[in-house]
Amino acid sequence: MQAQLPGPWSPLLGRLTLDQIPYQVPILQWTFAGVVVIGLAVVFCVLYFRKAGYLWREWLTTVDHKKIGVMYIVVGLVMLFRGFVDGLMMRTQQVLANGPNAPGIMGAQHGFLPPYHFDQVYSAHGTIMILFAATPILTGFQNIVVPLQIGARDMAFPYMNALSLWLTTAGAALVMLSLFVGDFSAAGWVGLIPLTELPFSPGTGVDYWMWAIQISSVGTTLNAINMITTIVEMRAPGMSWFRLPVFSWTTLSSNIIALTAFPVLGVALALLGADRYLGAHFFTAGNGGNLMLYTNLFWIWGHPEVYFLILPVFGILSEVVPTFSEKPLFGYVTMVAATFAIAGISWLVWLHHFFTMGAGPDINGFFSVATMLVGIPTGVKVFNWAFTLYRGRIHFSVPMLWALFGLFLLLAGGLTGMMLALPAINYTVHDSVFLVAHFHCMVLLVVAAAFAGVTYWFPKLFGFKLDEGWGKAFFWVFTLGTVITFAAMFALGFEGETRRLDWTFDPAWKPMLIVEEFGIMLYVVSIVCFVIMLAVSIRDRAKTRLAQPWPTARTLEWLTHTPVPFYNFAVTPQVNMRDELAWRREHGLDQAKPDRYEAIHMPSNSALPVIIGALAGVWGFAMIWRIWWLAGLSLAGIIVCVIIRSFDKNEGYYLQPEEIEAMETNLAIGAIIAEQPDRSHSSIPAEAH
Amino acid sequence: MRLKPHLTLPPLLALAACSTGDYRLFHPMNMVATQEWHATLVDVVVMLLIIVPVLLAVGIFIWRYRKGANGAYDPHWSHNTVLEFLVWGIPFLVVAGLGYYSVKTIYAVEPYNPGLTQAKAGPQNVLTVDVIATDWQWVFVYPQQHLATIDELVVPQGSVVRLRLTSTSVSNDIFVPQLVTMIAVMPGMRTMTTFDTPKLGDYTGFAADFSGAGFSWMQFATHIVTPDDFTAWAQKAAASPNQLSYAAFQKIAQPQVNEGAKVSYFSDPEPGLFEKVVAAAQAGVVYPVSDELSKSIGSNEHAKLVTPPGPNVK
Ligand code: HEM
Ligand SMILES: [Cu+2]
Repeated sequence: MQAQLPGPWSPLLGRLTLDQIPYQVPILQWTFAGVVVIGLAVVFCVLYFRKAGYLWREWLTTVDHKKIGVMYIVVGLVMLFRGFVDGLMMRTQQVLANGPNAPGIMGAQHGFLPPYHFDQVYSAHGTIMILFAATPILTGFQNIVVPLQIGARDMAFPYMNALSLWLTTAGAALVMLSLFVGDFSAAGWVGLIPLTELPFSPGTGVDYWMWAIQISSVGTTLNAINMITTIVEMRAPGMSWFRLPVFSWTTLSSNIIALTAFPVLGVALALLGADRYLGAHFFTAGNGGNLMLYTNLFWIWGHPEVYFLILPVFGILSEVVPTFSEKPLFGYVTMVAATFAIAGISWLVWLHHFFTMGAGPDINGFFSVATMLVGIPTGVKVFNWAFTLYRGRIHFSVPMLWALFGLFLLLAGGLTGMMLALPAINYTVHDSVFLVAHFHCMVLLVVAAAFAGVTYWFPKLFGFKLDEGWGKAFFWVFTLGTVITFAAMFALGFEGETRRLDWTFDPAWKPMLIVEEFGIMLYVVSIVCFVIMLAVSIRDRAKTRLAQPWPTARTLEWLTHTPVPFYNFAVTPQVNMRDELAWRREHGLDQAKPDRYEAIHMPSNSALPVIIGALAGVWGFAMIWRIWWLAGLSLAGIIVCVIIRSFDKNEGYYLQPEEIEAMETNLAIGAIIAEQPDRSHSSIPAEAH
Repeated sequence: MRLKPHLTLPPLLALAACSTGDYRLFHPMNMVATQEWHATLVDVVVMLLIIVPVLLAVGIFIWRYRKGANGAYDPHWSHNTVLEFLVWGIPFLVVAGLGYYSVKTIYAVEPYNPGLTQAKAGPQNVLTVDVIATDWQWVFVYPQQHLATIDELVVPQGSVVRLRLTSTSVSNDIFVPQLVTMIAVMPGMRTMTTFDTPKLGDYTGFAADFSGAGFSWMQFATHIVTPDDFTAWAQKAAASPNQLSYAAFQKIAQPQVNEGAKVSYFSDPEPGLFEKVVAAAQAGVVYPVSDELSKSIGSNEHAKLVTPPGPNVK
């Protein structure tokens, strides 16, 4: 029982045919050429410097939470760039294609993108930014920071951690592949129903969207299990719940959300898959289907998802603001309470995404009030950060600048969110670009916090700071671009512009569209600043090596050496206070050396996660193109890998005290970029058991 | 694009745009829209009552307590019971007030709005128009006037208009800024919205929720005319030689773009057309959109377009 498909299908290649490769589209030709050139350059460098083995041993097969975190962030930044290019294309299209007589080039009637292409661009933009940029970047920070912050050696399940990373990466790779083989979905990041059903989206675009999300969200769910277990089980001695740093608290709450919400998305997409593959009628308008069911399920995941993103961001702000104010966070207990209040309320508000669906006033009233309740704990947080500044000694370092800008974005996004929460207002701006501007304030707050986090924690990992001057240039240009673009977008919302328009028919929108385009150009400049910042920082790294990059840092991750050794702490720290490092510094204990070292049990690397990730990617590809034999084969491969793993007797190795001592005195050999000798034969001292 | 983004241009353009009346939502044209605009103002003012002080406080704090300034430094100050009550209490009060206000206004602007109908007009002043969204046009059926249009909504001044809405294929959202607020339009289901027409005027309505490749072309003209003009218009339209039978409707419902939103009129729409469309969608009738069609729309290949096949009953 299979759904009827338009177009050819063959047992060998499924729906794949040569004309699915859009080699005639000029934009894609250039993109493809770029990818090939960059890809070859990377491969060449790796081979030329003989780093292939190093990459495989130290990165691709690693189970070290810090390296996994770094790779998460790299994947996220690459996808952030891809998503940005999509955004740039959309803005440029809308300004070029303004007015009924707007000319067209490159085969488009208006502007330069025909709707078929434009619709894929905006759908990919949203999907990428939320699921493949913001999510991996934040997961990356959680991976890097949480174990260090709670004094743990690694995550609870290091192997599963690597698996999460590679599943997310497989999803991202599928999204990228859709550029060159077939199309991406043209039905929005939310999968507008019934537009995603086969009669209206007969191509493979929706399948790319569906399977990419499905695979990566398995990764996210596994990661949530891992994070929760780590925080609950692996806190260092003395780290009671109320000594837990706020970033770890927000990670905990955020991953509880992920663990409960992602399965809903999985089910919604699986049912959609049943419609598209088996000819079922879960979400069709006819034959007993119920399309509102999809919309409900999607937002039952979708709303918690946005809080899954924002809570760790609140955590980052709560680390950065105290550090650069030289003061503890104001109202720690209420901050934690507010975090969990936000998480709790986030399950109760999903209907605010479709107030205009025609539900009665009682239902809309309930969800309106529930939505506004989020404003209370959010307000508490803002007040608490403000009072943290009060009587502080504030340094305007780059992370602090990002945090302060984030505060501003939170106020703008909160104000407009509280507007959208009133159905009486929502009816006039739902589906308008005003809404788009609202959530961009919020997701740009995620981006601001991400850059705060990058500049803040970079030296912890790599031992040198990012260049302050270029960091500030990057910050200011980015900030200016954000303010200009989104102020104009709010204005357009009041002018009545709605979202997802391929060409903007009203010439009155032109001035603001031009302003937006100008703002977007500033983002382009800011990216250049970012790249220069990286290059300059790496060039000058010898000058910015510091034992303590931020002398006013307060939490445990800064207690261990910088750059952090791969075993995290030579001796598991005993925690005495909430801001442990600040407390030790005050009592002159921060430089204390342990009097002796003990052997450390470390997990061994494994190639299986990256192999499973690759097989999952192949499986997704086969499902998208309906190449059943390949799907069966890759699935069997995954199962074999899991079986192999379950018979694996390797229980890790022990780092010997002498080795630790050597690495503690020469930090470079323990750093995460250093190549490690093969230690899998280290003997296991009996007393260490 | 004739104007190149230039450093000084955007601020100037911003100013220019402010002075014109382009901010449509600032100029509501009937009762519902006015109430919604008032709700917007109330909400913003109340929110600014806390946001502005917070911004000021943050500004003052970062100035006064910046490193090297003379603000008193207290490395341990992190708790104050009174303040912590206030940081919960103030947002709580604001949200309680706004929550009450929100629920109250929902009833006032309720799209199915029987209250509005009763307050503003006797039954003779209520005009019912059935709206059917297709891929990618709007069909307006006037059962009382025995006429139908494509992409034109004409209503008399001083009446209350009830729109019943459904769609033949995918979900959509109807929107006439200043006049008709957004409401979903869904296949196999009906929604409703109500608006009053106190002033004469011409507006552009359009689709607000993405519905496929032809979505950006889905505009329709909206005119509020005098009752006499309305009668004249209705007579003219109802005299159209084209009758809107269900078979004729099925042709219109084929996926197609109406470039320039050209208006057409039909006489004698089949009685119960709206219900028939809803029932058909429920029974599984779809008007499929092929990839070739989606690809051709808005591209130069559009002219080469072949006529799409008939509706596909599963
Ligand atoms: C004070 C807190 C917030 C309130 C009251 C609020 C309120 C709302 C409401 C009512 C909507 C639905 C609007 C509509 O579709 O008509 C909405 C949409 C949205 N919000 Fe928020 N929000 C808040 C915070 C956030 C945060 C923290 C994020 C993300 C990090 C966020 C991201 C989004 C997104 C992505 C959408 C739209 C999704 C779409 O339709 O594509 N919001 N918000
Ligand atoms: Cu929401």
